Amino acid sequence: MPMYGDLGNKLVQHAKRTQNLSHLPPYQTELVRAVAREIRDLDKDVAILLEPFQGSFDPSAEQATACTLLVNHLSMRRNKRCLLAYHRTRTDKLEELVWNGADVLDLAGQTTGAPKGVADGNEGSGTTSSLSPQEEDYFRQFGDLLALYKGQWTDIDLTGSLEPPRDLFIDVRVLKDAGEIQTEYGAINLTKNSQFYVRQGDVERLIAQGYLQKLG
Amino acid sequence: MSYYDIDAILTDAEKIPCTFQIDVPDLGYLDNQPGHTLKSGSRVALPIWLAEMLAIANTGAVDMDDPSQSSKSFITFDLPPALGNDVVQALKADPRSVPLRDQSAHFYALATHMMELSEEPELSAVLRKTFVSRAAEIALHARKVGGGGSSYHGREGGGGAGGKSKGKATKEDNASNLGVGGAGEDFLRGLDEWERKLFRSAHDGTKASKEWMENVKKR
Repeated sequence: MPMYGDLGNKLVQHAKRTQNLSHLPPYQTELVRAVAREIRDLDKDVAILLEPFQGSFDPSAEQATACTLLVNHLSMRRNKRCLLAYHRTRTDKLEELVWNGADVLDLAGQTTGAPKGVADGNEGSGTTSSLSPQEEDYFRQFGDLLALYKGQWTDIDLTGSLEPPRDLFIDVRVLKDAGEIQTEYGAINLTKNSQFYVRQGDVERLIAQGYLQKLG
Repeated sequence: MSYYDIDAILTDAEKIPCTFQIDVPDLGYLDNQPGHTLKSGSRVALPIWLAEMLAIANTGAVDMDDPSQSSKSFITFDLPPALGNDVVQALKADPRSVPLRDQSAHFYALATHMMELSEEPELSAVLRKTFVSRAAEIALHARKVGGGGSSYHGREGGGGAGGKSKGKATKEDNASNLGVGGAGEDFLRGLDEWERKLFRSAHDGTKASKEWMENVKKR
């Protein structure tokens, strides 16, 4: 027998799973809607229960009704907490992805592994976005905010790698067309499957975004 | 414990046995009988998020003849089976042989929550002893697992149960720990969420310090 709050619990179990994944699983549109609907239904029930009292409800005189009202209220509160926690888990993940330099187009396209774990992040790839429209918006705006913040320091890259580079120059292979980039030594045209010997600092972002692969 | 804490929310979903103290016409569905009155005295298993407030809330009824009865709660509750006498006796006998996870995935969190609601001095003492002796065992396993070459063969098998690593984890982390073969397998499978976290921290810590040591030697 399904009970109020069961759907919300399902949502939180999704969130629990999400915490342990390197990518973001698809947004549970249906489940979120169902939980929101449950809250509205409960709210309606409360209104109906209270209607005959015309605003002068006395809990001590109407214990049974008071108990029902409390159960309804607690169920709504529980659902709210589940909804908020689910979305918070996902936005935390989105922020992490922004800091790691993920691209919103990659995320929108399909499930994207965190840049580090490209090899094992490819299950469940579909053509539909794993983000809700609101999440895509959040992702973009957080990206803008981060860029603005980073802009204050022109000589430090806050999202750069913490590992000191072993070599100043590295070999990279181009995994997908990235167009032309400007470097100290002139322009390079990054076409798919070509290989270059470039300064690591110039291409770090592109590696993180999955355009280039570091060789050797 | 934060409002957004996923584990806290899941702990609150654990059900505990409750007894209703009043008749409530609209709540029959809680006892699988929608449309019927939920009778006073009905025993129903309710999730903590519901039971807690129902037990604390005052019905507000004032009984003039007997003031001691005037602040009756909607329900009374008992300890869940996971914290029942059987389990407590088993823990007293040998804490390490009880798979806590089978009782509840959030065993300690559940117990802590229940102890906030009612005084259980004996339970508290038993659990403290349980955690201490199990923690030592966990630390021991965490150091062995995935550390030496001999236990590497168990890694593949561990992938399923070990899928708990955070996003930052590399491929190697994903493959490590938990369901690793050998005598410890059963024990590790019986860890509750809190103990799993402990295991992970101990394991990652050992691994990180080892990596660091190897790096130092190289230079």
